[in-house]
Amino acid sequence: MNKYLDKTIIELNQLLKEKKITPLDLVLEAFARIEKEHELNAFITLNKEEALKEAKKLETMEVDNLLFGLPIAIKDNILTKNLRTTCASHMLDNFIPIYDATVVEKIKEKHMIIIGKTNMDEFAMGSSSRTSYFGAPRNPWNKQKIAGGSSGGSATTVAARLLPLALGSDTGGSIRQPASYCGIVGMKPTYGRISRYGLVAFASSLDQIGPMTRNVYENALFLNSLVGKDEKDLTSSKKEREDFTRKIGQEIKGMKFAIPNYFMSDIVTEEIRDRIKEVIQLLEKKGATVDYIDIAYLENAVTLYQIIAMGEASSNLARFDGIRYGHSKENPKDIDDLYYGSREEGFGEEVKRRIMVGSYILSGDNAKKYYDKALSIRSDIRTSFLKAFEKYDLIIGPTTTTTAYDLTDPMDDPLKTFLDDVLVIPVNMAGLPGLNVPVAFSKDHMPIGLHIIGKPFDEATIYQLASFIEKELNLDLNPKGSDENE
Amino acid sequence: MSNYIPTIGIEVHVELKTRSKIFSNSKNGYGMGANTLTNVIDLGYPGTLPTVNEEVINIAIKAATVLHCKIRKMMNFDRKNYFYPDNSKNYQITQNRTPIGYDGYIEIDIDGKKKKIEIEEMHIEEDTCKSAHRKDVTLLDFNRAGVPLIEIVTKPCISSGEEAKLYLEKLRETLLYADISDCKIEEGSMRCDANVSIRKEEKDPFGTKAEIKNIGSISNVKLSIEKEIIRQQKLYDNHETFKPQTRRFDSKLNDTVLMRVKETGNDYRYFPEPDIPYLYLTDEQIFQARKTIPMTPDERRELYDKRNMSEVNREKIIAHRELSDFLNKLVETNLDFQIASNLLLGDISSYLNKKNKTLKETKLTQEKFTDLVEKVIDRTLTSKNIKDLLTDILEKDQSISELIKEKNISNITDDSILKEIIHKVLENNEESIKDYLSGHDRALKYLMGQVMKETKGSADPLLASNLLKEELESKK
Repeated sequence: MNKYLDKTIIELNQLLKEKKITPLDLVLEAFARIEKEHELNAFITLNKEEALKEAKKLETMEVDNLLFGLPIAIKDNILTKNLRTTCASHMLDNFIPIYDATVVEKIKEKHMIIIGKTNMDEFAMGSSSRTSYFGAPRNPWNKQKIAGGSSGGSATTVAARLLPLALGSDTGGSIRQPASYCGIVGMKPTYGRISRYGLVAFASSLDQIGPMTRNVYENALFLNSLVGKDEKDLTSSKKEREDFTRKIGQEIKGMKFAIPNYFMSDIVTEEIRDRIKEVIQLLEKKGATVDYIDIAYLENAVTLYQIIAMGEASSNLARFDGIRYGHSKENPKDIDDLYYGSREEGFGEEVKRRIMVGSYILSGDNAKKYYDKALSIRSDIRTSFLKAFEKYDLIIGPTTTTTAYDLTDPMDDPLKTFLDDVLVIPVNMAGLPGLNVPVAFSKDHMPIGLHIIGKPFDEATIYQLASFIEKELNLDLNPKGSDENE
Repeated sequence: MSNYIPTIGIEVHVELKTRSKIFSNSKNGYGMGANTLTNVIDLGYPGTLPTVNEEVINIAIKAATVLHCKIRKMMNFDRKNYFYPDNSKNYQITQNRTPIGYDGYIEIDIDGKKKKIEIEEMHIEEDTCKSAHRKDVTLLDFNRAGVPLIEIVTKPCISSGEEAKLYLEKLRETLLYADISDCKIEEGSMRCDANVSIRKEEKDPFGTKAEIKNIGSISNVKLSIEKEIIRQQKLYDNHETFKPQTRRFDSKLNDTVLMRVKETGNDYRYFPEPDIPYLYLTDEQIFQARKTIPMTPDERRELYDKRNMSEVNREKIIAHRELSDFLNKLVETNLDFQIASNLLLGDISSYLNKKNKTLKETKLTQEKFTDLVEKVIDRTLTSKNIKDLLTDILEKDQSISELIKEKNISNITDDSILKEIIHKVLENNEESIKDYLSGHDRALKYLMGQVMKETKGSADPLLASNLLKEELESKK
């Protein structure tokens, strides 16, 4: 098999420009790799026919940008016109969208080729992708382990080198946590950076689409193509486009980083804390300062998240009623039977649990008691972060409390699964950008990630530090091992 | 039956006259083919997000202004969550916590006294789709889904069906005049609900409430409230109680009918709409929106009173918006508004009605009309002349003077010529003179008719009648 897809984007672009390879070569190799690794269960739907057609069409076109002709995976909660979009749910397992998400339009404008839709937790609700109606994706570093979630399929795809690029979405860590478990780079940009139009809403005030890639530079490059004000999304930012790679390669001497004490407390395994401390030592050796600080309400972030996310989800998922699209109960007795039956049959356990809790949270006086209060403390968390950013360039810490665990670990404690995301959720609550970069491996050779959090709209500085660390550590992040000679 | 004090509150929904819908760019229209004015947003398609139509905000500012409401400058939208097939997202985007307008009023005249009907709040929201129930199925037409509405809620300060009727008439007139809605109850662009309860004395707590939904006309609002009050009185007199309920007015039965009992308070799980950021209205935006409000009906009343228009004419002119607007363009001139309104409401209105035309479709300009009024005042034209000339005035480009010339209209305005004719008539009608002198007014009319006949209608009637009276009095 050709190994073009192990090459960097810059190398591939050069080969495409020189006509040494064609987009079709890349697409064929991508499908071959996916086929060979099908037990990873990374994809829900493949777009083979259309992808081949598109690749052939591109052969006659000029290579006009760095991402031209590259194969890409899209998380299955982002709408793709004429390509099934299931949200990993029985509710939508026959749903063919009639429009493209704004972010998909941008991908098509850059002539990237959509290879397929990746596996995920049902409606992005979960942290191990095991709530998928289509079964869980597997971690390429150890197929008995979870890929994380909810963007587990996208993380697996990139980690296993099936494709160089994937889109994920992150409501409470769903890009960064699986990126950490799978040893890839995953960015959740600032809330509003990327249009949410066409992303099936889970929790509207927290959802954000983001890039998942093999390395830092390609992540920044990919992000360049995804951002921009969208008239269709009032919550999207009006910021001008910028080059997110511009600070990559700059020294970090004199920069100031902070670590919240909570992020290095005993909620995190000793092994991970040790590896993060080694990173800190490296940073200090290179002339940066790293201080331990306190950020208010971090320990409450998960509780607040549950209130806000489930409240919003209970409303966002109300539209799936069996009338206009999606699963519909056959021969319902009346309208109530149609509602109850379609939702009973169409949604999985976790989704139902969250809808019920969310409905309770917004019910009667509870809205004031829980939801309003959560919103108010949430703004306190943001204020606390912003205060820290008056003194520090970036905030760092581990991305996860453990490495990826076994697929067979029990799922019956709904509260425990949220604790997988305890370190990543505060970033969504504050609307900040956050990124995972792999920094080490555990004794059983599972990836460990560093979480880098930036000021609002300061993704460029995050990439600066992430790229610096990546270069210093020079880890081999291919689960099969890189073969430099091939 | 004992006496009770009724307490009534009215909720009105009106559809706004915007080009597009409130949260999508679908066209806002009525009477089109089912589901032709819809897009993925109106259908609540997954992944879609609302945008806010600026036109809606500006119209709502105007509405708040003409209803004398305070305007909330920082506001947001909320989600009202409930499952119903006409509700595509199974939540409605509305304003629950921060209605754009609050603490307003509408003033009505009741039994010769003025009363302020207080408006608790008015807010912006989206309309639902229209459902049509057939034998086995329900059909959904999403053309109406997302049409902008404002809901206007009064305080429970209305005390009779008559007051409710006067309030709604005044509200409708006010909204029409401010170009907010076409307020067509029959097309559903204005919908009225009435909350009715009764109690024995002012100091008693409010009685159990019945809500009469979607009443089909303003007169039926009055009627249904009166019937509902009687129904509740009978129950209380028989020591019966009833649960809070929703009723409708059946115009065939001429009474309200139970729809459903409200078991518990509805739980709509309101929370702030996260897809729409807070809106901040600037003073400039409010100023600009207000600038587009035409003169209100009450302002027009004040103006017409000042210009000595009779009350009858005043109300008729205000009821005919185009005539009022036409007249108001002449407010800077010293036009006689009473004579002007006589002309507009008389021959001109009959012409418009007969031809089914609007004033705009005629050739009547402001200059021509002013000229016409002047020619009436200086008696160049008699009412008969006007009847003869009107079609030409309204259909031809020529000026009034040109038309007078063309039609060869010249009235006898010379005293001596008229006197001669009067003498002749009196000589030939000795009997009538006798009748007049013995107190029969009819004789004057007869003689006047003879004068007009003799002059072929060209005598100035006022002048002729004065001269005739003079002559007759001299014979006493």
